Amino acid sequence: MSAPLLEVRDLSRRFGGLLAVDRVSFVVQPGEIFGLIGPNGAGKTTLFNLISGVTPPSSGAVLWRGEPITGQPPHRLNRLGLARTFQNLRLFDGLSVLENLLVTLQRQPRSSALAGLLGTAQHRRAERQRLDTAWQLLEELGLSALAERQAGTLAYGDRRRLEMARALATGPSLLLLDEPAAGLNPSEKDQLCQLIGDLRQRHQLTVMVIEHHVPLLMRLCDRMAVLDFGVRIALGTPDTVRQDPKVIEAYLGSGSGGGNTP
Amino acid sequence: MIEALLQLLLNGAASGGVYALVALGYTLVFSVLGVINFAQGALFSIGGYLTYLLMGGRIGVNGALPGWGLPGGLPFALALLLAAAGSGLISLLVERVAFAPLRRRGAEPLLALITSLGAGVVLVNLLQLLMGAEGYAFPHGADALAGLPDVLVIGGARIRTIQVLLLLISAAAVLALSLWLERSKGGRALRAVAEDATTAQLLGINSAAMVRLAFFLSGALAGLGGGLIGVSVSLPGPYFGIGYGLKGLAVLVLGGLGSVPGAIAGGLLMGLAEALVPSDASGWRDALAFAILFVVLLLRPSGLLGRRTVEKV
Amino acid sequence: MIDNGLLVQMLLGALLGLSVYLPLAAGQLSLATPAFYAVGGTLAALLSTRWSGLGATADGGFPVPSLLLELVLGGLLAGLLALLVGRLVLRLQGIYLAIATIALVEIVRVAILNLPFTGGAVGIFAIPQPFHDASGYLLPALALLALAGWICQRLEGMPLGRAMAAIRGDELAARCLGIDTTRVKLTAFVLSAVLAGSTGALAAHFLNTWNARQGSFDASITTLAFVVLGGSRTWLGPVMGGLLLTALPELLRPVGNVRLVLFGLVILLGPVLAPQGLITPALLERLGGWNPRGSAEGRQEAQP
Repeated sequence: MSAPLLEVRDLSRRFGGLLAVDRVSFVVQPGEIFGLIGPNGAGKTTLFNLISGVTPPSSGAVLWRGEPITGQPPHRLNRLGLARTFQNLRLFDGLSVLENLLVTLQRQPRSSALAGLLGTAQHRRAERQRLDTAWQLLEELGLSALAERQAGTLAYGDRRRLEMARALATGPSLLLLDEPAAGLNPSEKDQLCQLIGDLRQRHQLTVMVIEHHVPLLMRLCDRMAVLDFGVRIALGTPDTVRQDPKVIEAYLGSGSGGGNTP
Repeated sequence: MIEALLQLLLNGAASGGVYALVALGYTLVFSVLGVINFAQGALFSIGGYLTYLLMGGRIGVNGALPGWGLPGGLPFALALLLAAAGSGLISLLVERVAFAPLRRRGAEPLLALITSLGAGVVLVNLLQLLMGAEGYAFPHGADALAGLPDVLVIGGARIRTIQVLLLLISAAAVLALSLWLERSKGGRALRAVAEDATTAQLLGINSAAMVRLAFFLSGALAGLGGGLIGVSVSLPGPYFGIGYGLKGLAVLVLGGLGSVPGAIAGGLLMGLAEALVPSDASGWRDALAFAILFVVLLLRPSGLLGRRTVEKV
Repeated sequence: MIDNGLLVQMLLGALLGLSVYLPLAAGQLSLATPAFYAVGGTLAALLSTRWSGLGATADGGFPVPSLLLELVLGGLLAGLLALLVGRLVLRLQGIYLAIATIALVEIVRVAILNLPFTGGAVGIFAIPQPFHDASGYLLPALALLALAGWICQRLEGMPLGRAMAAIRGDELAARCLGIDTTRVKLTAFVLSAVLAGSTGALAAHFLNTWNARQGSFDASITTLAFVVLGGSRTWLGPVMGGLLLTALPELLRPVGNVRLVLFGLVILLGPVLAPQGLITPALLERLGGWNPRGSAEGRQEAQP
């Protein structure tokens, strides 16, 4: 069997006295949609930050196609094919929707700074190609009518989709989505589910999703891991996880009660 | 040898005390509003000139009213106190004009940097209009220190009395302020606003009043520093406070933005370090503060005693 | 009222405004421009007065090609300094970076004041003149400004310029989207330094004397004011700010000593009255639909 796309091995992160992530391990196989659930403060976003290089881990390792990538800076990881979105949306609010994507299309195709300054044919060709890709993505995520709008002025659901489009523009093989359904209404949530499935097909993606809304995640994911107080308490298909007594206790017993918080 | 060293250390501590005053002024405003008040240097100048006038000094030939002066003349201690209060009041004015309008609009903090500098430029140049660009020496250098000898001999070292006073007064001011912040109701309210303005507001603390208080105190500290330096050295011109304002900034970062003990420790450290620069390299002394600042920023951006902050993602 | 000498000064001001604008366009508040300006100016002053190879004549003349060479060398030296310093200071954020760059300005100022070969407080004087009068400087100053403006305009439609805008918008997001933020910030910082260095080299000849006061904290603030009052969203803002604010104290000369007070009032009230600055993208769009961001070019053809 070939190496998994992503492997997290005994990963820990300590903030002062708090172990936010405690020796978590799992693998993500190419092509699957892998869910990450857990009550508030379980360490889900911290885990994303560790994987995407935003926060260095205290110990443990992250492997990409079998190669260690622990401690590499985020931009290098992104160039390897790992893109993410943010729970509290970090768009370039001052730029237009189209520019948010163009910003991201830095290296496909490459053109030298000198070519750009002089406006050579090579640069113009590259620009044309970037624009094509950007428009294609906008079309795909239903944002083309908003292309000229400032990102800061968009409605919430559109902002979420723009963040996904922007991550996709970096041409990733693994897409990390941090609560993509937060703040969406039920019908928007359904559409999002559909969209994630479609995107996986068309871009040959592997997807990792953090989500609070458990029913949505159960429907969407091939496999999932459950975190509680930084510890991975369960791992498996939605059906096995659903019946795991430790999961039931984490969600119902400890009174953290965050299972269905919006 | 020991005497010379002691002398050096005392001199260093004396100027360090003044640096600490300026840095504390920055700290007060920074901890409440998260911005740097660049008018601090101008307020330092104002404190020096106010002290001079209150002690009965006369305006020179290039000033707006040549030869004019206050009748009589107050004793040094009283003049210094009033000058500090006056600088504090002008600092309140700076808050009103340069900070409040931006805050009401929720503008970028960067803008307050510019407006406060503008306020500083206005103040220094008004001072220059009034007093002229010439330097001033204090009218009663020695008699001001009523009854005290000009030079004290401490452990064999000869120290100018004013240097000792400088150290004692700034130490007293710094200590009083830290105690007040730590113990009193007003001080705790101020710290609460610095910690979290919204919550403080919910607890019934009038945060607007606390902001004004912070500005008044920070202006008073700068004014105090200006008066002390004026008496001990002289007033070389209306711009003389700017240099101290910049050094105070270096001290502020050295100690850690927003940290009161950091500002004090940073000030003393800076004063001592400068005192140890050999006299044949004294031209380079002014660069030392910034060289130290540079190194500290690179090794430990949060300063010696500052808190590290983690960006929330 | 505006003579050629003032015009040259205004153009130099616009150039320094652009030098502050470049790092700011990448979200970095650097006040280091006067340090690089001082380095470039000092180099030019030293070379032209000490090195006869550049062809200074006994009556104080100076060949124009040598001036151009100095512009290049001044820019290179400043850029080199920026490359070394930038690696260290650009790790700092926000106000820390601003303070570190103020420190750099002060260190450079004290160094120029105390180094054995820079003339101390008096500085270097009788710098040879490539032109007969001030009007001669108009062409090189204008050419340098045109070059800098052209580069800024081209940047808007290039990956580098867009990466700068992204970092200004949200540095962390930019990093996670594959942008090497360290490199982009350093590039903007070095470009800013090269521009300031070349401007300094030109200014040294124009001013005829050069000393440590040229690159002081005051200059940090005035140049920053160029950008804030002119507007920092497009490169035209700092250019306009630099032109106007350089002219202002001179135009105010008739009111005598009050002029610096008035100048301070402009800096104080400008951000309160016009927080976006004078020149904003919205204004440019109203004035004839010129899009200040070149990224829109070819948008129509590409639309499916």
